[in-house]
Amino acid sequence: MSEIPIETPSLWEVSASLFERWRAGEAGALDDLVRLLSPMLWQVVRASGLDRTTAEDVVQTTWLTLVRSGESITEPRAVAGWLTTSARREAWRVSRQSGRQQPVEDEAIARRLPDEPAPEGQVVLDDDNARLWACLGRLSERCQRLLRIVAAEARPDYTAIATELDMPVGSIGPTRGRCLDKLRRELAHEGGF
Amino acid sequence: MAENTRGGASAESDDVALLAAVARVWELVDPPPDGLADGTIARIAAEDLEFDLLVLVSTDGALAGVRHAAPEQRDDPGAWMLEYEGSDVRIYVRLNRIEDRTRLDGWVVPVRALTVQLSTEGRDETIESAVDEFGRFEFASASPGLSRLTFLDESDGTARPRATPPFWI
Repeated sequence: MSEIPIETPSLWEVSASLFERWRAGEAGALDDLVRLLSPMLWQVVRASGLDRTTAEDVVQTTWLTLVRSGESITEPRAVAGWLTTSARREAWRVSRQSGRQQPVEDEAIARRLPDEPAPEGQVVLDDDNARLWACLGRLSERCQRLLRIVAAEARPDYTAIATELDMPVGSIGPTRGRCLDKLRRELAHEGGF
Repeated sequence: MAENTRGGASAESDDVALLAAVARVWELVDPPPDGLADGTIARIAAEDLEFDLLVLVSTDGALAGVRHAAPEQRDDPGAWMLEYEGSDVRIYVRLNRIEDRTRLDGWVVPVRALTVQLSTEGRDETIESAVDEFGRFEFASASPGLSRLTFLDESDGTARPRATPPFWI
């Protein structure tokens, strides 16, 4: 698995640059962009509650949509945000087709996410991550899922883009804030993170 | 990290750090499939073709639904049919081999005026026909070999040609 670089402040710059190079005719740049951002899109789509096979299809459909409508993106730096938004919408659309209601608010998203067994038994986490995972598990199901969605979408160079656009980071709403605070308290009980 | 009064830049950077950690742990417990990016790249490559690739949906026996369109010699030895599907069109192709000659004809549903080209690997010339007002097209003598049919909509300059995957004659 190729992980997104965690502390790289230039992810949006890199994706913008790759996007510009692809639009200038360099086909390989799109391949690099796909490799760079697909893991993030996977998290966004999975956070919407789709099974793995469907999620893979939704990620691919999202990229095809970009290929077909890439001309409509005027600001290359917006490409990562455009992709996450498209991925989330496509995930909702596919969910609706399977007979579930369209969620309109974060709370609704959290409510409708399916139950999935926590997969922690399948991976070995280091102490910090194991502690975080355990603390997440003690939150309400709604908070767990909400935070996963927010975290996945917040992932790329959150601070830099927020600073540049002079926006509060991620416009973290009251519910998200409360869930984060609960998580913080759980972590404090465990001796911090 | 658990502050009672949180606000301003430090609270925001706390949120960012914690969300990044949450994202990281999810990446560990639910990583994408290994082939996610490569599969995507392959699908984009197929999308980028200069034509819309028709999909073979059935051969011979599964064509009962259009049997009325297939003349009586359908069951002759040496005759076979292929059915292709595009985003907005269905194309039936029938091949009749009589001794060393193969006749190819077919139907386009719904009917539309298209130019049909038959190309065969290893041969320079492409032979051309047209879909008539009943949706039929015909090549009286098709060369043996790996072949492909391409359908061009000359009334719509922006439409991409539709093409079958290669098939054997």
